[in-house]
Amino acid sequence: MTSLSAPGFPEDAVRARARGGTAAVFPDPAGYGTRLYGPTAATAADALDRARIVPPVFMPERLEKLIDLAREPEFSDVDLTTGVGGFTARLPLYLSAFGSTRAGSGDLAVHAARQAARLGIPMVIGENMVPVHGYRRSGDAVRSVLRARVESYLEEVPDGFGGIVVQQSTEDADSEVWNLLYSDPAFRPLLESGRLAFELKTGQGAKPGLGGMTVVGRAEAEQLARRFTVADVFGEDSGHRLRCATPGTFTDEILRQQLRFMRNNFPKARTWVKFHPGRDVDRAARTAWAAGADAVTVDGAEGGTGWAPGVFLDQVGLPLAECLRRIGSPDGCLLAGGGMWEGGRALRALALGARAVGLGRAALVAVDEDPDHGLERLADALALELRLLVSALGKYAAGALGPEDLWWPDGPAAPAHPTADAAPRDAARPAGGVA
Amino acid sequence: MDQPQPTTAPATPPPLGEHLRSPRLRAAMTVQQEVLQAARDYLRGQAFTELLPPLVGPVTDPGGRGAKALDVDYYGHPYKLMTSAILYKQASLHGFPRLFYIAPNVRVEPEETAGTGRHLVEFHQIDVEIAGASREDAQEIAAGLLTHVTEHVWTAVPDVLTGLGRDEADFADIRAGKYDVHTHAEAVARLVAAGHPQNPDGEIDWAGERLLSLETDRAFFVDDYPKGSRGFYDREDPDNPGVLRNFDLIAPHGFGELVSGSEREADYATIVTRMRESGENPAKYAWYLKEARDGIPASAGFGMGLQRLVRFLTGLDALWQVSAYPKLPGVVAP
Repeated sequence: MTSLSAPGFPEDAVRARARGGTAAVFPDPAGYGTRLYGPTAATAADALDRARIVPPVFMPERLEKLIDLAREPEFSDVDLTTGVGGFTARLPLYLSAFGSTRAGSGDLAVHAARQAARLGIPMVIGENMVPVHGYRRSGDAVRSVLRARVESYLEEVPDGFGGIVVQQSTEDADSEVWNLLYSDPAFRPLLESGRLAFELKTGQGAKPGLGGMTVVGRAEAEQLARRFTVADVFGEDSGHRLRCATPGTFTDEILRQQLRFMRNNFPKARTWVKFHPGRDVDRAARTAWAAGADAVTVDGAEGGTGWAPGVFLDQVGLPLAECLRRIGSPDGCLLAGGGMWEGGRALRALALGARAVGLGRAALVAVDEDPDHGLERLADALALELRLLVSALGKYAAGALGPEDLWWPDGPAAPAHPTADAAPRDAARPAGGVA
Repeated sequence: MDQPQPTTAPATPPPLGEHLRSPRLRAAMTVQQEVLQAARDYLRGQAFTELLPPLVGPVTDPGGRGAKALDVDYYGHPYKLMTSAILYKQASLHGFPRLFYIAPNVRVEPEETAGTGRHLVEFHQIDVEIAGASREDAQEIAAGLLTHVTEHVWTAVPDVLTGLGRDEADFADIRAGKYDVHTHAEAVARLVAAGHPQNPDGEIDWAGERLLSLETDRAFFVDDYPKGSRGFYDREDPDNPGVLRNFDLIAPHGFGELVSGSEREADYATIVTRMRESGENPAKYAWYLKEARDGIPASAGFGMGLQRLVRFLTGLDALWQVSAYPKLPGVVAP
């Protein structure tokens, strides 16, 4: 365990799961027989967390499973294997991008990569890794952080599962990151097994409309000044400087054409795109799918491991629930990030159309707690909760979830899938409500 | 009938000394020097001026299909070896409204291209640019160039070509200036009908291009590639958005693409927007964009691959056989 902390995030609970795994899903067994349990006191929750998961009484899909199995189905019969952006994942999870912040680009990221590989889930490598950390130095004598993550992942990933996704943003494009990787022999096994994707990053949850920001020392700031804007916002006496990347300019035509370029130039790589929680995220997602994107990742305003101005963290961007509501029934593979760490929130995102959910801060905290197995234990706990919840809903595959599995106490039923039994968008909806 | 390409992947080059001593390379270089002389004669006869291209610059053609540029340290600045001098061709139009280069290019092609027979890391192209020209003007020059070069080679060194197994009758159409024209959409439809899964938004893939080339006895142009398959400098058709005013010239009998060309974007705001659409950061292209803001002449032009042309004429299987110092994609060579 290092000194990593995640205020505002259920850090203690994540650490408990990183230590205890599936045991942490349940109350302490030491209290069994002597303590009575009920709902815990309500904690501050966003709109997605306020939705209740509501199993039906009548379960025709359970009957189908019963007929199939010739016995009563159990929660262990739930199949969580799913297709994620052209890959096969053992769980409806992926390891989110960490970016080039200090917390996300050091040893923790390498530990997270190794564990994500063992779990058989895809891993996204964030933007700005190459412009900041370099790619290949001293004739390969020193492994770059990016390559260390890739090699750790490849050493552990089971055949047929997982995949690596590499983001590229404006400054990465200057460094031609995708070109570097596509022709690097180290990536040949991924290309040959169809397990490399490139993700066009247009934004992130923590700071919609802004490019990546990190804090750097004075010496590093001078080195980076040629590639990034470096601003002196902490005062002249401070040893710190603000390194700013540009967010990139997008219109629907720019997005469409960039995706086509990706498919044209890197035909053996899958094409992913990640959006910040913008007010037109539904239109952006549809444009991306129509242009052939294998996956669209939406980062809710709760998302991002990133360091960002306080006003952005607190006040900017749509909550994940509203992003998913606006997108409605997805035209392709939809992935969701933003405050994911346990099965209930993940299930709600899946029920609203996501194919998988991303672990960002939770993954970093978990590997910080236990570099060898923390993320695996966290994912095991989450997977157990998902199996319990999905089977409680009378379903036996993650992809079978739907908006009917949720109830919204803040208002009328969420029209998450407009093609289903949904109400039209309601202009009079209470502000902040998901419905 | 030309010898069709072998169905097995071409062998890789022998050690350099052995390669340089081979009679086959000598024959190929004899053809190459006739090609170069004929190309220069033709273009100079059409009032073109030969310039020598730059070798390094702050930026080069962004390329496509996974090809990348090599970095060089230029007084501490990250410069690129030219993958194509297209941007310099455009800038040169102010002083040289009809210009050409015999341009060396370096492209680190993805390893998957090592077996196409049509890719080298180091190659040359006959690079032509014409101020005020349309696509059709550029196609006329490209076709005229190919016709003239073919005529000259069959006149100057027919024994070399027949010694390599070439049949003069197979070049009758080209020497007579007969070419077919198809659109990209038509090419895609033919491939899909033949059971080849061709992406309609993209470049014709290597296998698809070979299929098209194999099923014809006559060279042909493919016009109107979709935006998203080519560089930002290929001009979008104002009357047909999403379609480029560009072309390839494909050789028959499986030898594939010889030429890529287009009308060029010359409008500053359009160039910047197109750069973004191709994922480029305009800041990299500062010098070029300054020229564009000041006004680059409208133009059309093309690049004809020298080694591809020599391979087509000699009928050899792979580009490395017509290069004195071959570097195949992914194969480290001296």
